[in-house]
Amino acid sequence: MKGCDDYSETIQLYLDGELSGRDLEDFQAHLKECEACRGELEAQESLSVLLRRSRPLYSAPDALRARVMQTAESFSPTTSLPAVCRSRRFATILAWPLQIAGRGAHLWGGLVATSVLVAAGLLLLPGIMQRSRANSYIEAAIAAHRSFLNGSLPLEVQSESPSVVTAWFAGKVPFTFRLPSSAEESDHQQVYRLTGGRLVNYNGGYAALIAYQMQRQKISLLVSSTSSAVAAGGEEILSSGIVFHYRKQASFNVITWSNHGLTYALISSLPGSGRQSCLVCHQNMADGNRFSAYR
Amino acid sequence: MSRNQDGASQTDATVIDHLDGLYSYALVLTRNHAEAEDLVQETYVRALPAMGRLRTDSNTKGWLFTILRNVWLNQLRKWRNGPQMIEMEGDDGVANSIVEPSKNSHDLYVSKLEAEQVRAAIDELPADFREIILLREYEDLSYQEIASVLDCPVGTVMSRLGRARAKLRVLLSTTLKRSEHPERGADNEGLR
Repeated sequence: MKGCDDYSETIQLYLDGELSGRDLEDFQAHLKECEACRGELEAQESLSVLLRRSRPLYSAPDALRARVMQTAESFSPTTSLPAVCRSRRFATILAWPLQIAGRGAHLWGGLVATSVLVAAGLLLLPGIMQRSRANSYIEAAIAAHRSFLNGSLPLEVQSESPSVVTAWFAGKVPFTFRLPSSAEESDHQQVYRLTGGRLVNYNGGYAALIAYQMQRQKISLLVSSTSSAVAAGGEEILSSGIVFHYRKQASFNVITWSNHGLTYALISSLPGSGRQSCLVCHQNMADGNRFSAYR
Repeated sequence: MSRNQDGASQTDATVIDHLDGLYSYALVLTRNHAEAEDLVQETYVRALPAMGRLRTDSNTKGWLFTILRNVWLNQLRKWRNGPQMIEMEGDDGVANSIVEPSKNSHDLYVSKLEAEQVRAAIDELPADFREIILLREYEDLSYQEIASVLDCPVGTVMSRLGRARAKLRVLLSTTLKRSEHPERGADNEGLR
């Protein structure tokens, strides 16, 4: 049996989401009984909330933003760089493995292989960039979820009514959406409930954070326009004609998808992986048997 | 940058997403606005050509922060006389544009005051404490990701973070008390 002093490090690990499994269960059980540890956790959380409230620590000056964008432009595949210059850049990048493996190999063989790789690289680049853009949306959704969990992003509208939450967002975000009403889901046994929403900054504009609760688990859904966010990568799961992208990132279960001009990122700590994770919410629903691996 | 092509706007998003974080990290390391700007610029110059080679499950954010730190360490090595620590100039570049829509002017004033006190407290910390606080509390990197950026064991991350927070709690004790009892703090400051 550990004494309270032995929990000082554990409190920090718990606060930072670095505890799991048996350690997490033991500490949660200890917390219920120990007022001193609850007090210390509260004190550490207060500092964390205070710091997160002052995010970002500094904002990049506009001049730097412009310089960086200019630098990015010179590396962009869609700029007006001469084709030969662009090809040389990719040739350098893509031929690197050849240089390692093929020293002494036939010159022409190397050139042909390089050309094939250059062509393949140019064909694959949009996909790579799309995944990069999808990753940044997920990172933003996880950051928002974490802030929501630790209290630094409190809900601006608190309601279990989909129509109330839908109405609150109207005109505040640069896209329109409607949360399904409970009546539409009356056929299903709902295992989660809506708790509210708030605006969050994303990509120079606003995205909608919708909050749900499932037993004691908080779930957040970040909604943005497909013009600023895309869903890609991860394990792909097909359901009702929509491809859901599942992955585990930063200890959270992340599911993203795009539909009707909107991109969604669902962040939770629900158990399971991939299809199982989707079924946590959908197991009692009519579409529960329609989830299948896409590829 | 042209936005009529999807690829270009995707690059924009990737670039801009981490700009404030990288700039904050650069300022935490250099404590000088001009040097911080150059450091961020150099980071992007090195990172952008390699972005296309990243694996899909790569941690782009941690990777960018690692590059920035390595560039900074290389610069330090070149300066034979060691780093020239220059005091922060003014408060330009300070984040004050994050305005939550529901806040009134009083709340905004309190938020700004609080943010200034937080920045001043962090600025008093030693460099290794400043950077670990930034990476964890502002950038949400996991212990493993921080260990990778700082090139140190995870245990070091944990202990250093604990000591940095303990020191910050002392430095921010007044602010923390005020945030727990906002009505008392505001009266003391003559804000109402």
